[in-house]
Amino acid sequence: MKNSQVAIIIAIAVLIGYTLVKLGNSATYSDFTTAATAEGETTTVIAYLDLDAEMNFVPKSVQFSFGAIDKKGRKQRIIYYEPKPQDFERSEEITLTGYDADTAFIATEILMKCPSKYNEQNEVDSEKIYK
Amino acid sequence: MNYIGEHLWAAELGRGLTAFSFAFALLSAVAYYQKGAQWKTLGRLAFRLHATALFGLIGTLFFIMANHYFEFDYVWKHTSLDLAPRYLFSAFWEGQEGSFLLWMFWNAILGWILTYSAKSFEGPVVGVFAAVQAFLVSMILGVYIGDLHIGYSPFILVRELSENVGLPWTQFADYLTRFPNFADGSGLNPLLQNYWMTIHPPTLFLGFASTLVPFSYAIAALLRKDYKSWINSALIWSFFSVGILGVGILMGGAWAYEALSFGGFWAWDPVENTSLVPWLTMVAGAHLLLIQRNKGGVMPSALFLLILTFLLILYSTFLTRSGVLGDSSVHAFVDLGLSGQLLIYLLFFTIGALGLLLVRYKGLPKKEKEDRMDSREFWMFIGALTLLISGLQITLSTSYPVFNKLFGPEGVLFTLYDRNKVLNEPIAHYNAIQVPFTIIITLLMGAGQFLAYRKTTTASFFKRQILSLVATTVITFAGSAALQMWNPMYIFLFWTSCYAIIANAEFWLRWAKGQSAVAGSSVAHIGFGLIIAGSLISNANKTIISQNDTFIHEDFPSNENLLIEQGDTVPMGNYFVSWSEQSEEGHFVNYHLDFFEEKDGKLQPAFDLKPRIQINERMGNVAEPSTKHFALKDIYTHVTYADLRTAEELGDEEWKNQFEIEFNLNESHYLYGKYQVTLDTLLVDAPDKDGELEYAVLGAGITVKTMDDSTYKVMPVYVVEGNEVKHMDTEIKELGLKFRFDRINYETNRPVIVASEHKEEEVPFILVKAVVFPWINLLWIGSILMALGTVIAVVQRLKRA
Repeated sequence: MKNSQVAIIIAIAVLIGYTLVKLGNSATYSDFTTAATAEGETTTVIAYLDLDAEMNFVPKSVQFSFGAIDKKGRKQRIIYYEPKPQDFERSEEITLTGYDADTAFIATEILMKCPSKYNEQNEVDSEKIYK
Repeated sequence: MNYIGEHLWAAELGRGLTAFSFAFALLSAVAYYQKGAQWKTLGRLAFRLHATALFGLIGTLFFIMANHYFEFDYVWKHTSLDLAPRYLFSAFWEGQEGSFLLWMFWNAILGWILTYSAKSFEGPVVGVFAAVQAFLVSMILGVYIGDLHIGYSPFILVRELSENVGLPWTQFADYLTRFPNFADGSGLNPLLQNYWMTIHPPTLFLGFASTLVPFSYAIAALLRKDYKSWINSALIWSFFSVGILGVGILMGGAWAYEALSFGGFWAWDPVENTSLVPWLTMVAGAHLLLIQRNKGGVMPSALFLLILTFLLILYSTFLTRSGVLGDSSVHAFVDLGLSGQLLIYLLFFTIGALGLLLVRYKGLPKKEKEDRMDSREFWMFIGALTLLISGLQITLSTSYPVFNKLFGPEGVLFTLYDRNKVLNEPIAHYNAIQVPFTIIITLLMGAGQFLAYRKTTTASFFKRQILSLVATTVITFAGSAALQMWNPMYIFLFWTSCYAIIANAEFWLRWAKGQSAVAGSSVAHIGFGLIIAGSLISNANKTIISQNDTFIHEDFPSNENLLIEQGDTVPMGNYFVSWSEQSEEGHFVNYHLDFFEEKDGKLQPAFDLKPRIQINERMGNVAEPSTKHFALKDIYTHVTYADLRTAEELGDEEWKNQFEIEFNLNESHYLYGKYQVTLDTLLVDAPDKDGELEYAVLGAGITVKTMDDSTYKVMPVYVVEGNEVKHMDTEIKELGLKFRFDRINYETNRPVIVASEHKEEEVPFILVKAVVFPWINLLWIGSILMALGTVIAVVQRLKRA
C-alpha cells in the first residue's frame, strides 16, 4: 500500500475516534424538568430571568441565588457559587450550565444576553422636543 | 419635503460611490475573464476604478463620522460628540458595515498590488479578486427590490430606516433641530474604546484579505491548467498570510488577556476558533507548496488546502455575522438580516472553487513515485494532514449551532430526531482533543529540519541532533520539577515543544551555520514552539491565589474570590493585599490594591494594581483586569464583585429587607433563610359600646426559632381606633429583627406581619479574583519571534524571486 494512503487511513481513523470521544462529552440543550430527572448530571439550559422571584447575593460566602424560567415555562431556583455578574438584572436570556441538585439548580457557568448589545436604535421620542 | 440641516450630498456621494464600486468590480471580473489584451486592460482599469470608488466611499464615511452628522444611522450608532478622535477608527469598524469596508479596503489594496505583480497571472488572479469584491460590496449596497433587500448601506439616514418610515416625527422638516435625539449619537461602546480595537481589527482583516491571494492563484492555476508558474508567487503570499493572520489572532488573545476579564488569552470561543482554523489550513497549505516546489507530487492537496482556507474565511464570516452563534459565544453579533446573502456568497465560492478542482482533478500532476518513510516530504505531508484534521475538529465542534439550525423538528432539514447539541465544557473539550494534535505538530517541527528531501539515513538523523535531544530532555524534566507539573500528557507536550525550539535552534546555528536562507523558518518554528510551551505552562500551572478560606466548600469555586473590606489587609498567596480607595476616571471606577510582602517579619510594599470596573450603559458593566508582569510570572487580578450603588441609592434607613408574611394560625414560615417563625396565638380585644366598635386591639403571638435552636417570643400589636391605625412594633435586639402587625388581609382574613432586619454598619468590600500565570512571557516572546520569522522568510523569498 502507498504511504500516503496509509496516512489518509490513519487520519480517517483518528477522525472517527474523535467523533466517538465527542459523543461522550457533548450534551443537548435541556430544560429544568429534564435536568431534574438526571440529578447531578451537567446540562445546559436556556432560560429567562424570573423577575418576580427573590434575588439574593451573599458576598461573604459568594453565593448568588435567583429564579429562572425555562422555555417551557417551568420556574426554578438557581444557585451560583460565583460573584453576582455585573448588571445581572438587565439580562434577558441566560444560558445556564450546571446540574440539578434537589432543592435548586446549581449553575457552574452563566452566559448572559443583554437586550441592548449593539443593536441599539434611535427611537425618536416625538413627545420630547426642544421648546 | 425638503428637510433642513441634512447633509444629503454625503448620502448621495456615498451611495453613488458604492454603486460605482459595485459596478466596476463586476465589470472587472467579467472583463478579466475574457481573452485578449484589450479585455485585460479594461479589467485592470475597472478594478482600479472600483478600488478608487471604494476608497472614496470609505473617505466619505470617515468624513461624516468625524463631523458627527447624526442624521446618518451609522454615525448616530457609532459616534458621539464626546468621542475622542483617536477612537474614530474603532468607531468606524465597530459595526458590520464598517468591518466589511475594512475587509474590502485590504482586498482592494492587495488586488491593486497584484495588478502590477501578478504579471501573466493577472487576468484570473485579479479577476477572482474582482468577483469577491463584487460580492462584498453588495453587502453594503442597500438596494431594495420589493421586500428583498440587498446589503445594508452605512449611508442610510435614521428617517429612512424601515421602522421609522411614516412615523409622525419624520413629517417635520426641521426634525434634526426639533428632537433632542439627534443632538448626540449613542457613541462607541466603551468596551471597544481601547487601543487594541484600533490595531487588532485592521491586522486581522488584512490577514483575512491575504488568504484571498493564494486562493486566487490556485483558481488561476486550475483555470489555466498551468500548474508550475504559480507556485513561487503563491508561496510568498501564503507565508505572508500565515504571518499576518497569525499576528492578528494573537493580538486578539493579547487584548483578551490585557483588557478583558475572560480570565486568559484563549477561551476557545467560536469567534476565536473560526479565525484560528483558516490559519491552521493556511500553514498546512503553505508547507505543501514548499514540498511541491522542492520535490513535487502534492499538487492536488496543496490546491485543496489553499482553496479551503479562503472558504473557511467565508464560513467564519457567515458564522460570526449571521447571528447563528448567539447562544454559544460571549461576542455579541447583531443580525442585519444578511445571512441569506452571506450564505449565497459562501455557497457560490464553495461550489465554484471545489467544482473547478474536481473537474480538473484528472489532469493534475500526480506523484510518480511513492515518498519514502524517511523523507522530509512524507513527514511534512503528515504534518499538513494533522493540521487539517485539527482544524476540522475545531470547525465541527464550533458548528454545533449550525447543525442545530439545520436538523431537528424545527430545522431547515426536517428530521424527527432532535439533535439540539451543545458543548458543556468547551475548554476542556478542545484541550483534550487538541493537545495530542499539538504534540504531533511540534514533534514534526523539530524533527523535520533534520530530515532531507527524498531520503535520510537513520544514523545521521539521530547523530546530528543528539545535543538537542539531550538538552530537551534535561530542560523538560528540570522545568516540570520546578513547576511541579506531573501530568504525563503535559510533560509530553512540554518535551515536544522544547524539542521544536531547541532542534530548530541547533539546526540553524550549528548545521546551517546561521544561514539567512533558513533563518526565517527556524525563527518562526522557535517562536511557535515558545507559544505552545508558554500556553501550556501558563495554563496548566495557573494558580488562583485569591483563596477565600473562611466559607469554603472545596467543590465550589466560591473560594476563588477573596473578600477584601476597605482598609483591611488580608493574605493572598505569598502576599498581603489591602484595598485602600477607589477612584473614578471617565467610564471607569478604579480599585486601588496594594500588595505587600513579608520581609524580616515586617510588611514591605511590593507593588500595586488597579483593576477596574467599566460603567457601561449599553452592554452592562464590565470588569477590566490589572496585571503585574514579572519576568517569570504574571499576577492577574480583577474585581469580580463591587457594590456600585451610591450612598444616595443605598438610602440611610435603619431597617432593610422588609418582608411580608401572611399567616394562618400555627403556620410556620422561613425568614431570611435563617429563622423559623410561627404564629402561635392571635389575641383580639374589641369591646363594643352601644353596638358600635369603640376600638380594636389585635396582637399576634409569634415564636422565632433560630438555627441554633434558641427561641424568642414576640407580640406585635395592631390597633384600630376610629379612623386611626396604630402599630406597636416589637424588636428582638439580639437578632436585629423587627416585626410589625401590619394589617389584616380582608380577602383571606389573615393577619399580615412585616418583618425587617436591622441594617448593620456595613464596611464597603469588594471581591477580587487573582490568578498567577507562570512563564507566560514565553508566549509573548514566541509570538514576536513567529511574526519575525515569517517576515524574514517572506523577505528572503522575495529577494530570491
